[in-house]
Amino acid sequence: MKKKLSIYMPFINAGMQETTTYRANWIFMMLGNVLGCFVSYFIWNAVFISSGDSNMNGFTMPQMVVYIFLMFLTSTIISSGGTYDIGEEIRDGSIAMRMIKPISYNSTFMFQELGNKFMTCCILIVPMVIGVEIVRTIFIGSVQFNILGFLLYIVSCVFAYLINFFFNICFGFIAFIIKYLWGANMMKNCIVGFLSGVTIPLSFLPKTLEQIFLFLPFASLNYTPVMIYMGKYSGASLVYYLGLQVFWVLFFWALSKLLWKVALKHLSVQGG
Amino acid sequence: MKQVKRLLRMHRIFVAQELKRMMEYKGDFIVGIVGFLLGQFFNMLFIWIIFSQIPDLAGWTLEQVVFIYGFSLVPKGLDHLLFDNLWAIGHFIVRRGDFDKYLTRPINTLFHVMVEKLQIDALGELIMGIALICITLPAVSIEWSFVKVLLIIIAIPFATLIYTGIKTATAAIAFWTKRSGNITYMFYMVNDFAKYPVTIYNNTVRNIITYIIPFAFTAYYPALYFLTGENPWFNVGMTVIISIIVMVIGVVIWNKGIKAYESAGS
Repeated sequence: MKKKLSIYMPFINAGMQETTTYRANWIFMMLGNVLGCFVSYFIWNAVFISSGDSNMNGFTMPQMVVYIFLMFLTSTIISSGGTYDIGEEIRDGSIAMRMIKPISYNSTFMFQELGNKFMTCCILIVPMVIGVEIVRTIFIGSVQFNILGFLLYIVSCVFAYLINFFFNICFGFIAFIIKYLWGANMMKNCIVGFLSGVTIPLSFLPKTLEQIFLFLPFASLNYTPVMIYMGKYSGASLVYYLGLQVFWVLFFWALSKLLWKVALKHLSVQGG
Repeated sequence: MKQVKRLLRMHRIFVAQELKRMMEYKGDFIVGIVGFLLGQFFNMLFIWIIFSQIPDLAGWTLEQVVFIYGFSLVPKGLDHLLFDNLWAIGHFIVRRGDFDKYLTRPINTLFHVMVEKLQIDALGELIMGIALICITLPAVSIEWSFVKVLLIIIAIPFATLIYTGIKTATAAIAFWTKRSGNITYMFYMVNDFAKYPVTIYNNTVRNIITYIIPFAFTAYYPALYFLTGENPWFNVGMTVIISIIVMVIGVVIWNKGIKAYESAGS
């Protein structure tokens, strides 16, 4: 274990340095995303005023505010760039260099990303959560923060990140079929964004559709952690949704291994 | 005049070159268009689901909201189609030292960068935008007049210029900082505000997207004139004036940036 860690430590470091080197660029991207949250906020605000109902599909306006900003936080925490990295390497052939090194292909990606994540989380989680909680306290009039809920949220985010990581690795193999990764990635993001509740809370959908979406792996990405944070899942349902997350982690982990084996057979690298 | 002729000829050559390149990767070209179509499709689904639960959105009907949204996609798509290469300046062209090539050629750098690429993905936005406008037109009860149609046709290229100007200005920041892609991205996120009727925002946001980062003129104001026929001087006239101001600012920053540019290449 210790030996393993010392192998991958440089990757963690590289990830951390990457984030700090381009921090101005990173900050602008985050600011852009926060602006996106405010667009959603104003739309929902108008929706709640127009509906005249203080509770829509289980959401009140203060809850919707928590939902919008936590969705952004969760997406950032669990984001994973595997699709692009693996796809590019398949395309330009540099994947061959990875294969001759005595370290796991997936792990190098993951550790590099963990370094990256560590910086992101340090900078984002604390101010976001404090901000959301202050707003919520002002709206409702009493402190709503639940430390157990927060810890479970973090656990759920870890599972969600793993699902996303392995899912993206699997999707990266699409580079064998589609050359235009940017377009493919964009398609994927649109579909995942909708199925995982980023566009609209799943409870706003027709009931059958909601049930199907809740079971699909995408709800395990963003929706489950946010629902846990908001205290919407408890007792048996909490155990069920966390269990479902673990199931999807294992599923995509196994699938990525399988695809890797198949891909090795089909891989042909010219030059390099 | 000779100069303009020369530039137009260059433009044709660049476009022809791009089309050849695209025909080589036909599959990719469809993937890109479908990608952007899907993005807009899910946004429409979002609006539709919301409207299934409320009678109107701050006084706007579903058709009106969709019309404004669809209208916003047209100038956005046009800019995306024609001048997408500006994105690449801030993201990697300057950082990788590839900008030097533009400096060695006997054409204006900004012109060269702009016309070098044709981004076919943008057809996804354009098709969706035009489709949404066509679908909602019968339901928004517009009083047609010749002047109105003329003014809208004039407004669209100017609205496009607002995008191009902002992109030029933010891309040019890379000449100092080597990388400015995400500054452009941030400004583009402000653009999301302009896809919806600005009356749903508070005064601060409304003033920002009208006077500071004037994206409201790319969609809401011209579309409002089209829907109501009110205030052509402000809704369309200001679109023209503001777009020219934004573009001039963009060009000035670009030219200053070129002077300050030191190659990043090795």
